[in-house]
Formats: sequence, C-alpha cells, structure tokens
Amino acid sequence: MTFEPFEAFSDLDDLAEKLRDPDPSVRRVAVMELADTAEQDAVALIGSALKDVVPEVRLQAAIALGEFDGRETAEMLVIGLVDHDHRVARASADSLAELKDPAAADPIFPLIAHDDPLVRAAALRGIKELRRPDALPLGLRALEDADPRVRVEALGVVGYLKVEETLPALIACSRDAHADVRRTAVGALGFSRSTHAGEALIRALADADWSVREVAAEILGKARFTRAVAPLLAAIGDPEWQVRVKIIRSLGLLKAVEAVPQIGAALGDEISNLRKEAAAALGEIADVSCRTYLEGYVDDPDPDVRKNVRWALGRIG
Amino acid sequence: MPLANTSTSVPVIVDEDKCIADKGCTVCVDVCPLDVLRISELTGKAYMKFDECWYCMPCEADCPTGAVTVNIPYLLK
Amino acid sequence: MDEITAGLSEIDCDVLVIGGGTAGPMAAYKAKMKNPDAKVVLLEKANVKRSGAISMGMDGLNNAVIPGHSTPEQYTKEITIANDGIVDQAAVLKYAENCFEMIQELDRFGIRFQKDENGDYDVKKVHHMGTYVLPMPNGETVKKALYRQLRRARILISNRYMATRLLTGKSGRIAGAIAVNTRTAEFLVVRAKSVIMSMGAAGRLGLPTSGYLFGTYENAANSGEGYAMAYHAGAKLANLECFQINPLIKDYNGPACAYVAGPFGGYTANANGERFIECDYWSGQMMQEFYKELQSGNGPVFLRLNHLKKETADHIEQILHTVERPSRGRFHEQRGTRYAETMIEMHISEIGFCSGHSASGVFVDEFARTTVPGLYAAGDMASVPHNYMLGAFTNGAIAGEHAIDFIRDVDFDDYDRADVLAEQERVLAPTKREDGIPPNQIEYKVRRLVNDYLQPPKVTKKYELAQQRFAEVRADMEEAMVARDSHELMRAMEVASILDCADMAACASLYRQESRWGLYHWRTDFAERNDEDWKCHVLLGKQEDGTMGCEKRAIQPYVIPISDDEKDAYYKQRITAKA
Repeated sequence: MTFEPFEAFSDLDDLAEKLRDPDPSVRRVAVMELADTAEQDAVALIGSALKDVVPEVRLQAAIALGEFDGRETAEMLVIGLVDHDHRVARASADSLAELKDPAAADPIFPLIAHDDPLVRAAALRGIKELRRPDALPLGLRALEDADPRVRVEALGVVGYLKVEETLPALIACSRDAHADVRRTAVGALGFSRSTHAGEALIRALADADWSVREVAAEILGKARFTRAVAPLLAAIGDPEWQVRVKIIRSLGLLKAVEAVPQIGAALGDEISNLRKEAAAALGEIADVSCRTYLEGYVDDPDPDVRKNVRWALGRIG
Repeated sequence: MPLANTSTSVPVIVDEDKCIADKGCTVCVDVCPLDVLRISELTGKAYMKFDECWYCMPCEADCPTGAVTVNIPYLLK
Repeated sequence: MDEITAGLSEIDCDVLVIGGGTAGPMAAYKAKMKNPDAKVVLLEKANVKRSGAISMGMDGLNNAVIPGHSTPEQYTKEITIANDGIVDQAAVLKYAENCFEMIQELDRFGIRFQKDENGDYDVKKVHHMGTYVLPMPNGETVKKALYRQLRRARILISNRYMATRLLTGKSGRIAGAIAVNTRTAEFLVVRAKSVIMSMGAAGRLGLPTSGYLFGTYENAANSGEGYAMAYHAGAKLANLECFQINPLIKDYNGPACAYVAGPFGGYTANANGERFIECDYWSGQMMQEFYKELQSGNGPVFLRLNHLKKETADHIEQILHTVERPSRGRFHEQRGTRYAETMIEMHISEIGFCSGHSASGVFVDEFARTTVPGLYAAGDMASVPHNYMLGAFTNGAIAGEHAIDFIRDVDFDDYDRADVLAEQERVLAPTKREDGIPPNQIEYKVRRLVNDYLQPPKVTKKYELAQQRFAEVRADMEEAMVARDSHELMRAMEVASILDCADMAACASLYRQESRWGLYHWRTDFAERNDEDWKCHVLLGKQEDGTMGCEKRAIQPYVIPISDDEKDAYYKQRITAKA
C-alpha cells in the first residue's frame, strides 16, 4: 500500500458499533467522530444517540446535528427539542436554527403548536431562514401567542416572507405591549412601500422605547417614505443621539431640502458620529442651500467628517 | 552549552475527573493551533505539556465535558 | 511521544495548498469544485479544524462590498487612499467585485451574517471608509463550517505537517514542497503542478511587552514561514517595510476594537480621559499619534467607555468578550476591570508583517499569482492590502480556481534531488546535537533585538546594528541550535523563519528612504514622504549572488482615479483646537 499521510475518513459501521458501547463516554466520543465524517449517512446514527439513556450523550448528539442539514436532520432535532433535559433541548434549538434546506421545515411545523412556549419559539426560529411560503399561516397565528418570545420569533418568520397581506398583523404588533415585539415588528415593516406601513412607522417615532424609535427612523429612510419628512423633522430633537443619527441619515436619503437648516445645525454637534452623518446627509440632498453650512466644516477635526464634507461639496458642484 | 531544566507554570488546566481522553477523546489536543497539549501515558488524561499558549480557547470551547480551563498566562495576566 | 523518527515519503498532487487557516481551505475547496478529478492536498502545521487567525471565529466582516451599500470602485478608492497610494488597484478591484458572491457562499455554508427583519443583509454604516461592516452573529462557527465543506468535498487533508521549503523545477516553475511532521519529524515531499501558499502573517516577529513569546497579537502559530519560504523559492515580496502595528489592550495584547466601540460612542483617550485622535480606525497615521501620546506626559492611552450608559458599555463588553479573542473577558475578570467603570489601558503591539492589516506580503497580481510560475499566495501573507478575513476567503478562491486552470496545460516540473537532501540536512541539524542552544532562547533573542532596533521610529544606525546582531544569532542558530524532540524541532524551524523575516524587515526598511504610512514606516533620517522618488512598490528578493536585495517596481496605472484633495484623507489625525 502506498503511504497516505491524509486525515482518515472513518468507517460508519465501526462508529455505529462504538455507539453501542456500554461506556457512555465512549458513545459520546463516537458521536463526535460521526459529526466529523460530515457524511449524510451519519445523521440517522447520531439521531439514534438522541434516544440514549445518558443525557450527556443526547446533548452531544444535539450539538453534532448542527453540522448537518436537510429534512432528516430536522426530524432528529425535533426529538431533541422536546427532551426533558433543558441542555439537550437548548442545543437542539440552536442546531435547528442552523438549518438551510427548505425541506427541513416539514418536520418542524407541528411543533409551532407545542404546549411549551420555548419549543414554539425554537421551532419558529428554526424555520425563519428556510423562507417557506406555506409557513405564513403558522407564523401569522403565532403572532397572537401569549408569550412575547414566541411573537418575536413569529415576526421573524412573517417578516422574512415579505408579503403585503401580512401588513395588518405586523402593524398590530407594532403596538404590542412588549418593546422587543414592537421593535421587531417595526423592522419587519421595512419591505413594504404602502401608506399603512409608513403611518405605523411614523407613529413608532414617538415610541416610549428608544430602540423602537431608532429602528423606525432608520426604516423610514431606507424604505424612502417621502411623507415621513415632516414627522422626522419633528423628531430631530430626540433625547438619544443614536436616534438622531438615524433621523438625519433618513432625511438625507429622502432628499429633504426643507431639513437643510436643521441638518446644517447638527454639523456643530459635539458628537462626531452625528457630524459625519449630517455632512453625508447634506451631500445626499445636494442642494445649493447646503453649501454655506458645509463650508464651515472643511477643517473639522475628524477626518471622517472632513471627508464627508468634501464629498458633499463635490456633489453640489 | 549544556541544558538546564527550568520550571514554568502553565495556563491550561484539565479536570481529570471530567476528562474522557482515556475513552478515546482527543478533541483538545487536536484543536490546539500550537500543539501544546498531550495525553499522558501515565494517567490517560490530557495535560499541557508545553508552555506555548495563545490563550485562544478552542481546547476549552470544544471539550465535550467541560474539563478544560484556559487561564491567562502568568506573564501577562 | 514526539520522538524523532527517520523517514521520507513522497506523494504527487495537482494542487498543493499550504496552510489550513482561512484562505487555504477556500482555495482547496474551490480548486476541487472546479475540477473534481484534480488531486488537491491541503497541508497544515496544526489541525485544519481550529488553525489560523480565525481559530475562534470572527465577530464580523469589515470590508464587505455589498450592492446597494457600496461599490467596488468606491472601495478600491478607499483602499488606495488608506494605503498612501501604494496599491495595484486591479487586485483590490477584483476582490471588491468578487466578495459579495463569497459572502453568499459562506452563508450557504452555514456561516450566519446579520440580517434585518426582512432577511436582507444588515450592513452597518460604522466604518471609517463607508458602509462595509457586516456583523456575524454566529461567527465562532466559521472554522467548523469550513471544515465540513472540506470533508464533503473529499479534500485530502494532511494535518501536523509543517512545510519548510518550496521546491522549484528545472524549468523555473514551482515543483512542490518539503514538509516535516511535527509529531514524528518524518519528511514528506509533495510533488505538485501548482502550489498555493496561505500561511498567514509573520506574527512572531516582534516581542510583546509582556515578554511572553506566544502572547502575540496574531495567532502565535503564524510565525512567517510563508514569507521565508517564498523568499527562498525566489519569489518577490512587496513593501515589507510597511509593518503591522496595532493598538491593543495592554498585556492581554488583543484588539481593543475601536470599530466595534466607535458607533456606540467609545473612543481612544489619554490619561486625562480626553480624545487625542478623532478617528479610531486602525491606520499608520493613527498609530503615529497613538505612539506620540504614549511618549508624551499625557500617556498612557486608554479605551474609554466609562462615560457611556452602563447598558451600552456592557453590551460592547459582551461583543468583545465572546468572539475572536474570548479569553479577553477572563483577563479583565481577573484584574477586576469593567468597561462601564474604568478606562482600559491600551498599548502598542509588537511589529509584524500582515497584509490583512497593512500591505506587507508576497507580491501577487489580481489572480493571486506570485512572481514564480505556478506559485500562488493568498490571505494575510499576500500583498493585497487591508484584506482581512473576507479578503482571505475571496482571494483564496481566486487562487484555487486559477491554479486549476494553470495545471491543465502543465506536467510536474523536475526538481533537483540534491535540494531535498540539503533540506533534510538543514532541518535535522538541530536534532544531531547533544547540547547547544534551544530554539526558545534563540527566538527570544531575535525578537528582543527586533524590539530594540527595528520597532519604529526607524533609525538607520540602529538598523545597521540589528543586521550585525542578526548575523551573529544566525551563526549560533546554524552551528549550535538543539532540538530534543519533534515538537521542539517545529519551534526550531519557526525560529529560522522568524530570523529570515527580521532580516527582510531590516533590508526593506533601509531601502525605502522616506517616511510613509505613519508609524508603520517612520524613518527619522528621512522624515518626509517623498512621492517623487518613492511612490512605488519596494520588492525584496533573493539576488543572483544569493544575497537579499530590493528594487523599485512602478505602481500599475490606477483604474480608479484619485483626486489630489482625496489622497491625504488619513493625515491630520490629531485633534486640533476647535474654532
């Protein structure tokens, strides 16, 4: 035989044998070696370890399945997701969230109606990236779940599908009692160009939670809601500078000439992130009225601000 | 020039009660980018043989039983 | 265990990839995907599972060129300015055009990039240079995902083989490489039609201030073999005088990541808690101001977050302590330092070569080709500047695909058997001695001398002294270094690379008679930038007489023009009094 200095590809039959070893530590090692093979045929074997009597072996199997994809992997993981050992359940949930193959969604769907809210949330998290159109009714129903963690994950499923018909439900969630739900809902509205979505986003500019206001301010510009200029201007004095940065950026993207004096004033702010954003926004607007504001800051101490000021002046010509 | 044996304290600690190297596990030894861990021929457990640690943590993160702890090497802690 | 075993085996392959960190696995994968019949071998000094700069993952991309957020042309311009104009733009542009496809491919591999609530990439506008930052929420799984793909593609992986020299053929093409097993000291000669080097930075060049040899900024396994091997094979190396020097958390020597803290309002401050630089993005000019502040009465320098809201500071702490260098949390815990409460002392890193952060690397074109036919380089050791992790992936892919095209029309080039025998003799020499100087002492001395004499500001007389001292240590290494087992032999071979890199750092720095890139190449005897004579690459290589030498190489005409008022954007970093 010729010399082979290469990493071996383990034999699955040998590893299956090791999975039956009386010593749970040996079984654990076997699960890890099965994962290293990266072979699809290892999935069923690892799945069988999810039924091991020793929780540590099951935990190892749940982690190992995170290395695989496809329907069969999901079938195994849903077993782990309802394991009474919470470590196994949590690891299974994490592995579910790694799936990429849309076919993996089918075995997960039934768990969206599970009694345990953590299982429901994990199932929704698992199908989000898979973007299956038939997940929509399940996601919509879960938007009304009693548990806010489930509602947040359901918003993920619905938001990723970007369907106009879901707007009323998303807008309802933008009024949720929980800030996490409101923030996620406001973010999920970003795909829509409808007036209703715009109005909900404008309302969210006055949310009690600053992180909701931040997302709303950002999305209004990203989605080019031209009617948002006046409300954004009205909110430009937000107490949080992180929110103000997003407002200024959005006013720039919306080419809001009427906002030039306020944005120009922000060029004198002590926070350089804000000055940088203001200069960029004036460059986006590129109206002659921006020039006088910008010219005062060509020697700003922050090179980022200077660069944006130069760029903006160049755009005005 | 003749050589001396100077002792040094090593940052990686292995809990021998948790370590399953004697059951065929070699995870921590495999994942160390500096190859400083070995399995003791005496105890069958993993240990740090060379004081050449980048305190990068794969040995601890990947250990299936939580037996490995990476401390910050004394000279810089 | 670790005994020295005699032995030599020989294998053949179409494409040999040396280095299993970031660029290497991608190169091997892409080569195999393009031609599944090709025999692709991936050689790694440690184990591909967790080797290289991203052993513990990465918290995000900081140079992602994503449609709708930035353009390849804009990015190319930014990098040209950031590197003081010393850039062959074709390679940067090629990266920028290809990197989005790479992001999508990595996404399919299971590496997750931050997405907004509609599933679109959530690119952050937080960069010095534009909108290029894309966080990676499960960034710690990068290496696992790569490994999985390598196994599925049936790439032949040789772990624990340290390449020591490349083999060049009689017709001047690359012919393969010689490697030694780090557990047995057995030799492996790999004949290859094409070789891709992806061996990382030269991170063990300077000595960290802690004095701990392995407490480096770069993964300490990255000891510069790629640079040394390319040099000995006759390849040219570009702009090695543009050192990598970074602002780090003192003693811990890991990144303080101003680009993470900046958008939240964190910044670099002096002992009075005041900002002295406005832009914390890592650049030579920024480092120069950092250095000056350390030397002034206002030092030391700190990462300041304790003026922020506690939740914000805690949030930054959480990001910084989980991915890339997670032991950072443990370091602060032991010292009892919390970001929300105290300023965190920072310091300046040891010097190194790393194109990922600066521009020092084996000279390559836009196809990752070096100046030796059939030899490619990618990642931190190749000369495409400011490339980071995504650059390593993208250029690794480019190298892998181009190498597959290259081998279609060539056969193995014959190498001289005497080269193999000579290399065996060189490598094993330290194992033939009963006593002598162990590698760790030689390494300490070289790296201490690097700190004493090569660390900027660069002074001609000090550099000349360094060259004399390096020659003395080289004589000691060749005549007296002793390695008692195969592990120590690996360290002995690393020392040889480190010493080669030290010589190269000195030679290249003395050649460029100007100052450029801020602190990276600050020469006190030539304090000004001199575009007239030095707006060019400096290529270092082995000359006909076997000695080390440098030459100028013209920069390729820009594809993306840079106007005069843009080119100095990185100067004037220091805060001046506000009008």
